Amino acid sequence: MSSTTTQSGLGRARRGLAPGGSGTAPGKRKSKLSAQATRTFFWLLLPSVVLLVLIHGYPLIYAAVQATHDGNLLQTGNFVGGQNFATVLTSPAFWKAAQFTLWFTIVGVFGSWLVGLGLALLLRTKIPAGGTFKVLLLLPWVVPIVVSSTAWNWLVATPDSLIPSLFRNLGMGTPLFLADPNLASITVMVFKVWVSFPFMMMMISAALASVDTTVYEAASMDGASRWQQFTQITLPLIARSTYISWILMTIFCVNDFPTIYLLTGGGPVNATTSLVVLAYRTVFQDFATGPGVAIAFLMTMTLVVISVILYRQIRKSSVE
Amino acid sequence: MNATSEQRSPFSRRGFLGLTAAAAAAPLLAACGGGSASQGGGGGAGGTVKFWDMPWATPAYNDAAKGIAEGFNGANGAKASYQIIQWNNFYQTFSSAIASKTGPAVSTGGGFQAFQFEQQGQIAYADKVIEKLKSNGQFDDFLPGVLDPFKSDKGYVAVPWQLDMRVFWYRKSLFEKANVALPTDWPSLLEAGKALKKVGAFGFTTGAGAGNNYANHSMIMMMVNNGGGVWNKDGELDLMNDRNVEAMEFVLELVSNGIVDPAAVSYTTDNMSAQWKDGKAGYGLFQVNVPQRVGDTSGDLLVADPIKGPHGDKATIVFPNNIMMYTNTPSQEASEEFLVYYLGQLKQLWQKKLMSALPVFKSITEIPEFANDPNNVKIVKDWQPIAKTFAAQGNKLNANLAALDGGQALNQFSQTIITGKSDAKTALQTFQSGLESVLKK
Repeated sequence: MSSTTTQSGLGRARRGLAPGGSGTAPGKRKSKLSAQATRTFFWLLLPSVVLLVLIHGYPLIYAAVQATHDGNLLQTGNFVGGQNFATVLTSPAFWKAAQFTLWFTIVGVFGSWLVGLGLALLLRTKIPAGGTFKVLLLLPWVVPIVVSSTAWNWLVATPDSLIPSLFRNLGMGTPLFLADPNLASITVMVFKVWVSFPFMMMMISAALASVDTTVYEAASMDGASRWQQFTQITLPLIARSTYISWILMTIFCVNDFPTIYLLTGGGPVNATTSLVVLAYRTVFQDFATGPGVAIAFLMTMTLVVISVILYRQIRKSSVE
Repeated sequence: MNATSEQRSPFSRRGFLGLTAAAAAAPLLAACGGGSASQGGGGGAGGTVKFWDMPWATPAYNDAAKGIAEGFNGANGAKASYQIIQWNNFYQTFSSAIASKTGPAVSTGGGFQAFQFEQQGQIAYADKVIEKLKSNGQFDDFLPGVLDPFKSDKGYVAVPWQLDMRVFWYRKSLFEKANVALPTDWPSLLEAGKALKKVGAFGFTTGAGAGNNYANHSMIMMMVNNGGGVWNKDGELDLMNDRNVEAMEFVLELVSNGIVDPAAVSYTTDNMSAQWKDGKAGYGLFQVNVPQRVGDTSGDLLVADPIKGPHGDKATIVFPNNIMMYTNTPSQEASEEFLVYYLGQLKQLWQKKLMSALPVFKSITEIPEFANDPNNVKIVKDWQPIAKTFAAQGNKLNANLAALDGGQALNQFSQTIITGKSDAKTALQTFQSGLESVLKK
């Protein structure tokens, strides 16, 4: 077997083609609609567009007004320009929350992706009681977050909870998972991965299901090792799904309020305060509406930038 | 590649159209929100008074309160409807409803909510209610001092209906096991804490986890118990006074001696209740009705005596929860009539033993269902007379107290103290700065 042959086989496989497939790209069809049809489409779409604008546009504009004024939830107050943004950006609490949000997102996205990928690959193999296993794996995603956070609280909160007791019995001291700032940060991130991996697993499973298994046979015949098949076939073929799931999970992590708030409330001493928790507390505990909304705006802008970058990756992967 | 430019162009058009339509729709929606008068409707000329209530105790409480509210039958056929509002995001719920004029005519709520909405012109003053209470004899039935905090320059902002008080509780068997006397002052609290630690219990039980304000309350209580407080007598911020510093140094001493549970910083109220139930909590600040709350009515959980600070001061904190009326009502007369009626029926809630708070009326403290509990009697006799509000060292409630109660600054401060991560002065300084940044100028 020559390496040229192998690369060629892998190249075809990466494009999702069975051996001997034609290789014709899906159609670059350009349909020209008649003026009448265009008008019909416009009128049919109009109600949805109006609803979307009302539902998304109005709150956005009202939020922009709040972010530039010094009022409260009932009264808009006086125009203060970018003062709320300046207040937020010069606040150490904002940057501490931003730092935690970054780590929470990185661990949440890649942790849940890795676990989800591993389990999705495992589920492709024939394992005993696979159906039951799949249902059990979906439980963390299915169970309401308030229930799972309460369960996690029972597991780790007090020195006599199950997990600290296990550590103690193993002679490893009594870790205070939610009381120590570093441990609390780690616990919240692990909780997020635990809650999120089923979503990743399902996304990856769906992507894997669409892969023609003959590409693996072809690659195998060409002498590709398991690792080469994984890195040269599996990963490229699920790349689109991966990028989409990363975009979604990034948004889920950055905007995740209940996971953090229910488990730690953002403590101890702000160690697990993310930007969304900070925004909530600023608006609804400190009643500082302008700065709170400014935080939310900054988060939205960051998410838009990240989404655009990842969206470009999706398009690149589809062009390949 | 051409696809890029082809895709960008329609996106831009859509974005422009969306923004234009949104801009156009904004005043329309604002007009819709502002114009909807939802009060009234049905119930005759007096209308239906919307009464919003919080889950102050178990669901049985809300069932009973609903029964009382819906039993209202006012002049001109006025009726009342009842709605439970959850504590989560309650301020947002009230604000958005009031802004859209779909809010209540009368409500219970956060301890300082009436003052917040008064600032925004949404509160109807209760002076006529007070007049009616004077004429029907209920005014003289109020416990001393409970009404005064609600009197502003413009009138009574709300009427109190229950007192959410913080008192020290102890587990008798643990004190016997530790062979130590009940604390009567700060040095004996320290000694008791050390003795309780030897038997595996904590002598200053508290918690500062998600949704748990007891550590916040414990910190302010210790300041007030030492003659200090967050504000001076004129209502100005006064956190750095010597009494506060001394109080926090004492709490830090409790922490460094292991008298405060090291995990307490993360405890929810359920975690804290479990510590009391499981015999880990020997002594600490809690609310009224602790045995019922934690599920141990064996008689081992008892109200302790008030303790004396190093300068001889004795005090605790109390939240005079209140009922407020709003300007958006089908009939102000009906709102007032309903409030007088509701206050007159409160006794039922204590007769049914549904409340985890003290009543504001002397007559209710005397009913057998309340007075047969020696813990209740002790609280009324020993603790109520020394109770001060969050406004201490002053005594006038105001909207600024909402920024203190449950705000980020206090929560961070109490977490800092009970983890022992700072000295008292630094922690107080940070607290003061945090509070200053959110107080209304």
